[in-house]
Amino acid sequence: MRALPPFLVLAFAAGATVLQAQVDYNARLGVTWATPLLRDSVVEEVQVRQKLAPTLVVGASLPIAPRYRAGLEVALTTSGYQAEEGGASSDLGTVRTGSVTLGLHGPISTDFRWRAGTGLLSYWPSQDQGAFARGGTTKFLAGAGIDYRRSLLPQWEMMVSLAYDFHRFTTDELQARGFSQRQGVQRIAATIGVARARR
Amino acid sequence: MSPRRLFPLLYLAAGGVMLSCADIATPSRNNAYEWRRLVTTATGVDTLSFHWPRSSLPVRIWAEDSLSLPAHVEHAIGEWEAAFLYGEFSAVAVSDSNEADVIVTSGIAPEGGFSISRLESLRAPECQGATDIELDASGQEIRRPIRVYVNPRFAPGSPGLDACMALTTTHEVGHSLGIFTHSPDAGDIMFGDPIVSVLSPRDRSTAELAYHIDATLSVAGR
Repeated sequence: MRALPPFLVLAFAAGATVLQAQVDYNARLGVTWATPLLRDSVVEEVQVRQKLAPTLVVGASLPIAPRYRAGLEVALTTSGYQAEEGGASSDLGTVRTGSVTLGLHGPISTDFRWRAGTGLLSYWPSQDQGAFARGGTTKFLAGAGIDYRRSLLPQWEMMVSLAYDFHRFTTDELQARGFSQRQGVQRIAATIGVARARR
Repeated sequence: MSPRRLFPLLYLAAGGVMLSCADIATPSRNNAYEWRRLVTTATGVDTLSFHWPRSSLPVRIWAEDSLSLPAHVEHAIGEWEAAFLYGEFSAVAVSDSNEADVIVTSGIAPEGGFSISRLESLRAPECQGATDIELDASGQEIRRPIRVYVNPRFAPGSPGLDACMALTTTHEVGHSLGIFTHSPDAGDIMFGDPIVSVLSPRDRSTAELAYHIDATLSVAGR
């Protein structure tokens, strides 16, 4: 029994080393486009929309089956957002988003892989005003994407990714004002970066 | 590239599109009260409406340093800005009255002297307020500054006076941002004899409508 703790430590260390050897990391930069956060009708239709958002994504994945990997991805965006009414628009400030997605990756062909996952998306407005008067919000997120990877150097690959996700948006302020249900928001992110593959 | 390998992705994408098509449901703003001023002229009734244009934002408000008026004005600005979802109105307190779009002073509104719409709330026991909006000769343009008067009826420190000054300031600032009439409901800050200290949903709906309908009055340039 005395030998058990050292054995467990060794087993854990060996397992971690094996896992580390199989972890695939990537980091990408790009842009995210999104459909309106909110459609209102005061007199005419008013839409609140995020501008094209610079995006940073970092991800890692581990093999879970011969052809499939499980991955964790963190994506950050920051952009202005604006209200549009009757062809005129007005800036409302800046909103940042952060998402954490747990997903499944699989092969399409040699250079292409698909991925799909679900996670959480948070909105962090620069100022608590308007729809965000009672602060930001966190929503469930689901999405999918296609990755293209091409070797650059030993263990390094260029990675181009196109991702789609959706969530249902509302805030405490909107609900307090009588907005019911939620606005379906779809986002498309195009990113390019590098991946360090240890396969 | 085998199409079969794309199936999971296509299923997810189709599911996502279906789930995300639903829109948020907009609240009714039918609870708004009439905010425009109806003026009888020789040819009939003229409807006067106004809101600060985006090019004039933030509206600059100067408050006399007396009876906590600067604090009451700050509170009023916060209340009214929070009424809007899309940045339709914003205001700042300024230290130079010469640059102000709205001037808030203590005291009784002077008799005459303006070609104005005088909007008064007189019935509260502790204090009273008035807003003077002066129009140019054409009757289509508001001259700056709009003047707000908040007058205590009791000595400073009297019970209820500070609260009365605060809610009356919010009420009068409401006139200065374009609500030219009084609400018929005592639950609203824009009730003729205001008794509540915060905006009601009706006040908010009214302010929102006022800022999304074309105004008949403009404001003179700075």
